[in-house]
Amino acid sequence: MSQHLSSREVSQWIVGDRTPQQQRHVGQCAECGAELARMEAALSLFRGSVRHWSDGQVRFPRPLAPTRGSRGYPARPLPVRWALAAAALLVLAVVPIYRNAQDRQRQADLARADALLLEQVDAEVSRAVPRPMEPLAKLVSWDFSSTDGSDEKTRNEEIR
Amino acid sequence: MIAAVERSASEIDDLDTLVRLHWLRVFRFALASLRDPDAAASVAQDCFLRAYRSRERFRGDCSTQAWLMRIAVNLIRDYARNRRLQFWKRAQASAVDIEAAGQCVPDGGASPESEAVAKEQLAAVWNAAVGLPERQRTVFLLRFVEDMDLLEIAAATGMKEGTVKVHLFRALQAVRERIGRSQ
Repeated sequence: MSQHLSSREVSQWIVGDRTPQQQRHVGQCAECGAELARMEAALSLFRGSVRHWSDGQVRFPRPLAPTRGSRGYPARPLPVRWALAAAALLVLAVVPIYRNAQDRQRQADLARADALLLEQVDAEVSRAVPRPMEPLAKLVSWDFSSTDGSDEKTRNEEIR
Repeated sequence: MIAAVERSASEIDDLDTLVRLHWLRVFRFALASLRDPDAAASVAQDCFLRAYRSRERFRGDCSTQAWLMRIAVNLIRDYARNRRLQFWKRAQASAVDIEAAGQCVPDGGASPESEAVAKEQLAAVWNAAVGLPERQRTVFLLRFVEDMDLLEIAAATGMKEGTVKVHLFRALQAVRERIGRSQ
């Protein structure tokens, strides 16, 4: 092969399609060797340039969902994750309100029970005689609480 | 081969390991394809989650990297289509990233003239890559940025090896033409 490599053959050479004749020729021809070297240098420069540029622009990944600890569980899609986060926030917001309402209800019940108990105590304390003796007390009816004598008049009228 | 498959299987069972080993490559490929760091990060993240979720379907008939790249290729395609964003057309219009990326010439102590030539060549390759059709660009990036061989690219893109070669050849022709024009 005495002819220089054509443009097509240079591209084919770089792709990897090389005949033994071409290889022999390139080994002997400085011009073709220089052309191939120029092309390969340009591609190498391009590779270096893209890599350098990429290194300067690199964005590292956000923590990906399925980590070592949760192996076997696929990552939830983003909308599901947002929904779960919103639900968690909602629960956090609603639980204190609910608990507060429950506490208030409990305190109101307690206050009502206390008031009832106090009423019963008052009633017990204010009795003139113990409950079992109340029928007798009604028969005898000694009520000293009245000071205006009206009860005595009533009794006298009843006797008459 | 069996050891490689076992290694792949254990790799994909552990998401942390998978991310640690392959994040940069997947991110870089997504970035080079979409030219948007946030979109690239989003695609890369999605890629790993999908890979992890569908790990039971991974039969180990290709490398983990090729498998991840296959998912990334599909996600990038969907991303661009679904959002109806013409990233590369937009990039063509602005060319800001190309200029920024074109400045990243490794300093090899070359003369100012050589450096200027290298920058011109680099800009020509970037511009050529910008103008490539989607499949050619994907194959071109996987081959010349990610250093994947033809079989791996075939596995990653779902194309036959011969089809990969054709796309790569056409991409190279476009790049050569662009380099030739820049001189």
